[in-house]
Amino acid sequence: MRGWRIALVGDALLNPPSTPGVRPIDALRLLEQSAYGVLQLPPPGEHRLLLAVIADQIAEYAHHGYAVVALGVCEEPGQGLHWRRLAPLLRHRGVALPPRHLVRCQGDAEVESARLTAFLQAYDLPPEEQRRWRG
Amino acid sequence: MEPPAQRKVALIAHCLLNQNAKVCEGARYPALVSPVIAALRERGYELLQLPCPELAFAGTRRWWAVYEQYDTPAYRAHCRRLAQAIAPRIAAHLRAGAEVVLIGLDGSPSTGVRFTSSKRDWGGRPNRPQDDWDIVPGRGVWIEELEAELARRGLPAVPATGWALDMGRYDETGASRDLEEFLDQRALAASAGRDDPVTL
Repeated sequence: MRGWRIALVGDALLNPPSTPGVRPIDALRLLEQSAYGVLQLPPPGEHRLLLAVIADQIAEYAHHGYAVVALGVCEEPGQGLHWRRLAPLLRHRGVALPPRHLVRCQGDAEVESARLTAFLQAYDLPPEEQRRWRG
Repeated sequence: MEPPAQRKVALIAHCLLNQNAKVCEGARYPALVSPVIAALRERGYELLQLPCPELAFAGTRRWWAVYEQYDTPAYRAHCRRLAQAIAPRIAAHLRAGAEVVLIGLDGSPSTGVRFTSSKRDWGGRPNRPQDDWDIVPGRGVWIEELEAELARRGLPAVPATGWALDMGRYDETGASRDLEEFLDQRALAASAGRDDPVTL
């Protein structure tokens, strides 16, 4: 039943702030439609131990046939991805950096939803890797 | 003038947002457990995903297990590390006066809230017949350690329930009814207690 695809998701995409005049995209719905499980990243700030714990989990998935992507937000500091800290943690664990997609929260929700859906649906591991791990 | 709405935060078991974390043969959905997420979002809860202790400890290809098999010093130390990683985020919400609830996974040896799984003689090759384990009242190991970490930090107990995913035969309708009753009771309790907020 599992979808074999995981998205690291910036907190602002999961819990969008309410901004007058801005309709946020429904990232969770789009992730569900494309069968991606979610690994939530914390909001901007210092989260050393939590990011190390998250990196351990990403490594376990990346080493066992799961496709991993990262979804951030243009308007957030560091795009909400903690990339300066997370990237070395992943490299240290032998994990190739996941492809990233940035959502423009101030942009048109329909356009941004279509861009995100196209990104999510286009990505997966090469077929030989899928066969090796997923049976 | 109306006071600002109280912030509501749901601490949710990792696999409710990511079924890829489930034990072999344990995933019931391809991605996330949509009835839980819908019930929480409809009621205005922000989501705070807990780490998955079993995935980080025993990996994606682990077999199923019961409470007694995870009740080891090494696994408890691992759970304490995860609890120390996530506790500052929970503490920040509690200290800011948010209404915080915990949604675990009933029947899980790690994340059970109302019920966990038990079988004193399990071990070795996992070739037992289906449903050959007991569901007993009690917390899973991870929830025990998380609650202990919050208590060490002087934080109040967080109201908690479990989504009945690991109870043997899965009943989505019954699980939804339980969760919605819990959330609606929390809403009543919160509205009754707004004049007497807890100060941390």
